[in-house]
Amino acid sequence: MNGSLNSQHDSRRQWLSRAGGGFGLISLAALMGDEGLLKRASGRERDWSQRALQPMAPLESHFPARAKRVIWLFINGGPSHVDTWDYKPELEKWDGKSIKEFAPEFENTTGFFKNAVGNLMKSPFEFSPRGECGKRVSSIFPNLGKHVDKMAFIHSGYTESNNHSPALFAMNTGMPRMGFPCVGSWATYGLGSESRDLPGFVVMSDPKGRGLPKGHAANWSAGFLPGVFQGTHLRPKGDPIDNLKRRSGQSETTQRQQLDLLQQLNQQHRESRLSETELAARIESFELAYRMQSVAPDVMNVEQETQQTKDLYGVGDPKCDHFARQCLLARRMVEEGVRFVQIYSGGMENQRSWDGHNDIQGNHTQFAGETEKPTAALLTDLEERGLLEDTLVIWCGEFGRLPTAQVASKPGRDHNPHCFTAWLAGGGIKGGVSYGESDDIGYKAAVDRVHLNDLHATLLHLLGLEHERLTYRYNGRDFRLTDVAGRVIREILA
Amino acid sequence: MQKHHHLRPFLAFILLGPLVVGTTTLHAQEADDPRLAFFESKIRPALIEHCYECHSVEAAEKGKLRGGLLLDSSPAMLKGGESGPAIIAHKPAESLLISAIRYDDFEMPPSGQLPDSVIEDFEAWILDGAYDPRSTPTESMKRKIDLDAGRQFWSFQPLDTPVPPEGTSWSQNDIDRHIESRLNEKGLHGNPTASPRVLVRRAWFDLLGIPPTPEEVTHWNARLSEDTDPETPINRLAYSEMLDTLLDKPQYGERWARHWMDVARFAESFGYEQDYNRPNAYHYRDFLIRAFNQDLPFDQFVRWQIAGDELAPENPLALMATGFLGAGVFPTQLTEAEFESARYDELDDMVSTTGVAFLGLSIGCARCHDHKFDPITAEDYYRFAANFTTTIRAEVKLDLNPDENQKKREQYEADLQRLKEALDTYESNTLITEFQKWLDDTPLDPETTAAWNLLSGKLSSSANSQFTLQSDGSLLATGTAPAGEVLTYETEIGVSNATAIRLEALSHASLPRNGPGRAPNGNFALGDIRIFKVVPGESPQRIQLARGQATHQQNNDSLSIAASLDDNLVSGWAVDGQIGKSQAAVFWFEDPDELKQGDSIRIELELKHPNTQHTLGCVRFSVSQQETPPIEVGIEGIPTKVRAAIEAQIAERDPDAESWNVALGWFRGTQPDWLKLKETLDKRGAEGPPQNLSTVLISSEGLPHLSHHADGRGFPHFYPETHMLRRGDPEQKVKVVDAGFVSVLIPGNLSESEWRLSPPAPDSRLSYRRSSLANWLTDVNEGAGALVARVAVNRLWQHHFGRGLVATPNDFGEAGERPSHPQLLEALAAQLVAGDWQLKPLHKQIMLSQTYMQSTEYDEERASIDPDNQTWWRRMPRRLEAEAIRDSMLSVSNTLDPRMYGPGSLDANMNRRSIYFFIKRSQLIPTMMLFDWPEHLVSIGRRSTTTIAPQALMFMNSPQGRRIAESLYEQVVALESKDKLEQLFLRCYGRPPSEQEARISLQFLQKQTKAYSSEALNDTEKRAWIDLCQTLLSSSEFIYID
Repeated sequence: MNGSLNSQHDSRRQWLSRAGGGFGLISLAALMGDEGLLKRASGRERDWSQRALQPMAPLESHFPARAKRVIWLFINGGPSHVDTWDYKPELEKWDGKSIKEFAPEFENTTGFFKNAVGNLMKSPFEFSPRGECGKRVSSIFPNLGKHVDKMAFIHSGYTESNNHSPALFAMNTGMPRMGFPCVGSWATYGLGSESRDLPGFVVMSDPKGRGLPKGHAANWSAGFLPGVFQGTHLRPKGDPIDNLKRRSGQSETTQRQQLDLLQQLNQQHRESRLSETELAARIESFELAYRMQSVAPDVMNVEQETQQTKDLYGVGDPKCDHFARQCLLARRMVEEGVRFVQIYSGGMENQRSWDGHNDIQGNHTQFAGETEKPTAALLTDLEERGLLEDTLVIWCGEFGRLPTAQVASKPGRDHNPHCFTAWLAGGGIKGGVSYGESDDIGYKAAVDRVHLNDLHATLLHLLGLEHERLTYRYNGRDFRLTDVAGRVIREILA
Repeated sequence: MQKHHHLRPFLAFILLGPLVVGTTTLHAQEADDPRLAFFESKIRPALIEHCYECHSVEAAEKGKLRGGLLLDSSPAMLKGGESGPAIIAHKPAESLLISAIRYDDFEMPPSGQLPDSVIEDFEAWILDGAYDPRSTPTESMKRKIDLDAGRQFWSFQPLDTPVPPEGTSWSQNDIDRHIESRLNEKGLHGNPTASPRVLVRRAWFDLLGIPPTPEEVTHWNARLSEDTDPETPINRLAYSEMLDTLLDKPQYGERWARHWMDVARFAESFGYEQDYNRPNAYHYRDFLIRAFNQDLPFDQFVRWQIAGDELAPENPLALMATGFLGAGVFPTQLTEAEFESARYDELDDMVSTTGVAFLGLSIGCARCHDHKFDPITAEDYYRFAANFTTTIRAEVKLDLNPDENQKKREQYEADLQRLKEALDTYESNTLITEFQKWLDDTPLDPETTAAWNLLSGKLSSSANSQFTLQSDGSLLATGTAPAGEVLTYETEIGVSNATAIRLEALSHASLPRNGPGRAPNGNFALGDIRIFKVVPGESPQRIQLARGQATHQQNNDSLSIAASLDDNLVSGWAVDGQIGKSQAAVFWFEDPDELKQGDSIRIELELKHPNTQHTLGCVRFSVSQQETPPIEVGIEGIPTKVRAAIEAQIAERDPDAESWNVALGWFRGTQPDWLKLKETLDKRGAEGPPQNLSTVLISSEGLPHLSHHADGRGFPHFYPETHMLRRGDPEQKVKVVDAGFVSVLIPGNLSESEWRLSPPAPDSRLSYRRSSLANWLTDVNEGAGALVARVAVNRLWQHHFGRGLVATPNDFGEAGERPSHPQLLEALAAQLVAGDWQLKPLHKQIMLSQTYMQSTEYDEERASIDPDNQTWWRRMPRRLEAEAIRDSMLSVSNTLDPRMYGPGSLDANMNRRSIYFFIKRSQLIPTMMLFDWPEHLVSIGRRSTTTIAPQALMFMNSPQGRRIAESLYEQVVALESKDKLEQLFLRCYGRPPSEQEARISLQFLQKQTKAYSSEALNDTEKRAWIDLCQTLLSSSEFIYID
């Protein structure tokens, strides 16, 4: 029960007493028996009260999962699809013409700056065929382009807002408003985490002082789900996780002795309240915390990697060192069983992220340069370690960009909610395929349109979760990540 | 909470369904059609039995639809679901349905394969063209809502006053008798009374959210134990007195206001990407604290939050209460295309929050369609939203301490009166004597003739600035400076042969940075000066000015005195560099003979610099007859007119003559005593009566809206009409709706006009729609008041017991839990209403019940019957919430800053109670979040309680926790070891340590001291003691209350 301790059935209580030392590894599904959360396919508070004891204990998926964990590279600010992965030869022909000629229905409110709408503009980058599949890829991805045979492209994505934060919220939570749980929260709510010593859902943001993505922490919020499922934001400067370091003056010995006293007092307190399973969980949580102090910094220390690996990612390369470290850390974390990792490329808006209102060429050259080598390395590394087959890697931003120029000192491109490109690779994904099409100039998603809900449904499906059954009851309604829609894009599944 | 931006493919299909029915349908009604017979006998029953559970509109409504596939109509089958069409007519081999029921591809139905004969029937049916008369689903998407049936639902019933059942001696009051009756039904019984110490601690946390001090524990433990025996283990009289004491403490309001803040999704910023602060929103929090402490009747509490601005506009508390409606999120960064949907989202926030907070009803679920569970139509939703159509956030200035401020104002008036009297006394006594003496003694010296002769005239402003005449003849501007203005001065020339005119720009304490200008930096800019001779009946004649000179000019160019004489209206005299000082500018007439004594002139001062408010604050005009008058401020010597008056009085003393007043008026200005008295009076007078107004964020209508970022693009803040929308989409307006309530909560024979209130005046800025809503909400007999009372007492019960009698406090609808003790809930609700809706008596009654006072003792046998304690056979220990944990740590270490009210703080290390955190949606306090603090985005009826390792890390390693442990140690540092230990346990647990606890604690201290010594650290013993303090603060007993 929320706000109160639970009395449990006798067998469960005894089981917990027996398991006292470390039941974190034991699947909670077993504990919950026939009335368990997943079988009931709803997150009623009744069930939650059981799970609150070990909220992150791993749970079984609805059906066998193709991917066990996710690394989402969030291309923050809105990458231009026509300058990255969505090759548009027709746009060259339309270069310099008004978009109204192509799309009479074009509205000035499509972008954000209605007074700076220029003519159609071809991509400043060359596109050349890459990989066996021959996918045409922009010249800003010399390394990443080698991996197209691992990627499934979605060229027909569309979203609901032309404004950063609502679009970020929509991409992360399915709703363009605040207050809803994000994908990572749903994933950990549905599956728990396989890591005992690390948070199940980790978020990394720009470490170069360019700010947080717009809307800040609401992008990794658990919304109305229990707070434990919110993303853990690794602080880009200083200690990445709060309170992980022993205070100065305290040694392992004195801390252990202090903890022993605490556990004696707690144990004694619990002995006259054996029915309260929460108290046992609390005792365990201190042991877990004690272990986290040594394990987590260890995992987060990418310096332990070989020079070869560090070179592969680009650690030490001033252009991409920061993102290389984050990608490497993401790999180390999923290796440890962390369920969901999200890395934001870029900070807030304009020149601080992929938000190329001004000088799209310079902007995308810079941000591709910061990320493409580490991302390529991540795919290589995951594959070599056998992790790619059950790790899903996603490359996606909050919206696309217009095929028109935005009038600026050097031409840029404005927001485009009608079309974006995303790619997925790894666990359960068919490589080297493209799904859906934008129109000839990349203004709107045209063929096999993919709504965010479809993307989310596909993502949950890969994790072995049926998006229609993963629900949480809140204020009288069963909520889903995909609300009342969502279609699994089976065409890109392996 | 529904998506509304797009018509979903699935729904599009439903709407279009009938249009795409095949032609076969036309023949379907022919009863003798063998295909119809085959379908009805073989196909339809099989579909209903094996498929509809997961593949029908009904399944979709229950959230059970699988694969997006509907099999309950012909078009749906042809269209199919996520995997494509279910059937292709004439082609069974290509029909997914067949491969699915053959278990080739999908294995359908999952419960087991159909008999071969049924599969063959389907194949035959498809081969024959899949004749299907079902043009539309049997259950239409629009479930018809039956209001009469809906009114039978338990929570929509009128309030009942049940007679309590009989009870045994276990029962202490009617609450217990209801509880006991249920226990008996199950063959259970309640626990005995908890110990006095446990009760003291329990009551302290429940009512105040902080632990009792050692003195309080000791005192009340003794009182509660007086005259007790095994039959009566608690002195109930003392216990009752203790409850009264606690309910009177101001911390009670701080504890219970916080519970309501969760429900009200209260925060102090807009949310979304910019998350701008609402710095004056905290008044709503202060209202809550005051309301609980004053025991504001709950119905009034409801009414004020909905419409306090209309119902009690003179009461600051009622205005503060309306912060409730505007406390939600709003995306201030909007493009034009998003304006209207953003406003509908804002209305939705008000509707949803009002619905769950007061009615426990998810009205918001009817935004896109009729409510799926409750009898609330989409039209009800939009009519409810229309109550808030014109409601906006606004800031008003309020006097929040009227009594204190009234006293201050009276004191001020008395001061002023006293100063005036002092001046009057001086003027009618000493001054006259001195003046007479001076007239007698002082020969007039021609050398003392003043260079400058003061003009007196009328000053007016194109921007309506107001001016007050000062005793020195200057004119002082009051009020707010306009952006720009033209000042016009009309006067008569008092002397002949005037050579020059002087404009003095004087400093004054009331001006920004003492002036002389009214710009925030104290500057002004005189774009141009124009002088006209005015002759009645003739057009004004411009007097040419030859040149100018000033005591100071800002530069030699565009801000010089010369620039005031050019044709450029912008460039002109300014004085930065000497701000705060009086300045003078002298302008020479081109022709000194042009103006005669007694001529009327008009002076125009152009003060419209693009830098706004660069206008003059205090001015004075004078003329000179000298060729080269001094360029200076002030008047030395005796002006011509005064000299003549003095001469007249010397010649013949006549107090009744005009010359007496003129001469005396000048003379008093030479007297230091008079100047001092006058200055004191003027200064005090300029201060004005003290107002001490506070800016308060309220929700209201017809006031200037709270400005925010979206104003930049012209966001309208509200639309004058609210439409009913299809699928919640502002692009699909159905019709304009009038304000209304929830139909199922209105008796069938009544109309909403029963509760309708009209504005007191036809031109009122207020619509009184919200007052009408509030009126209906709190009408127990025929409106929603019975439900409001049930929801309220349930919240009260929940915070005393950890779970409400209805376990879903924000959902009293069909999908919510049913009450575990319906009669008890009813009795409490009825009692709330009967007791003038006051909460404190109800708290007391609950806490005086045996149900509340019983111990937490566990019993295997009873637990096997009721493991979840649904019947309340025992009390369940509870973990404290984030606020109480933190406040308790501060409290026991004596570092809690008890200051109440006022702006909150974002500083995680502040020492006030946690309710005074500034709640910024993008910067929620991390330590609070660790312990399940809500995100403050939507109404939360009940917080979750998680137990996670980062909480343990906080106790172990956070610098703040360590500092508190150090302060706790400071509290006991002077005591002997044994007393130290006893005090620490008393402070943290409300009890002395057991022998075993004392032993292991002392052992720990020894071991820890030794360890520190071996690590060559100093203060080893102190470190060990602080470790012990930190351990107690981290322990389960500290944060779990029995």
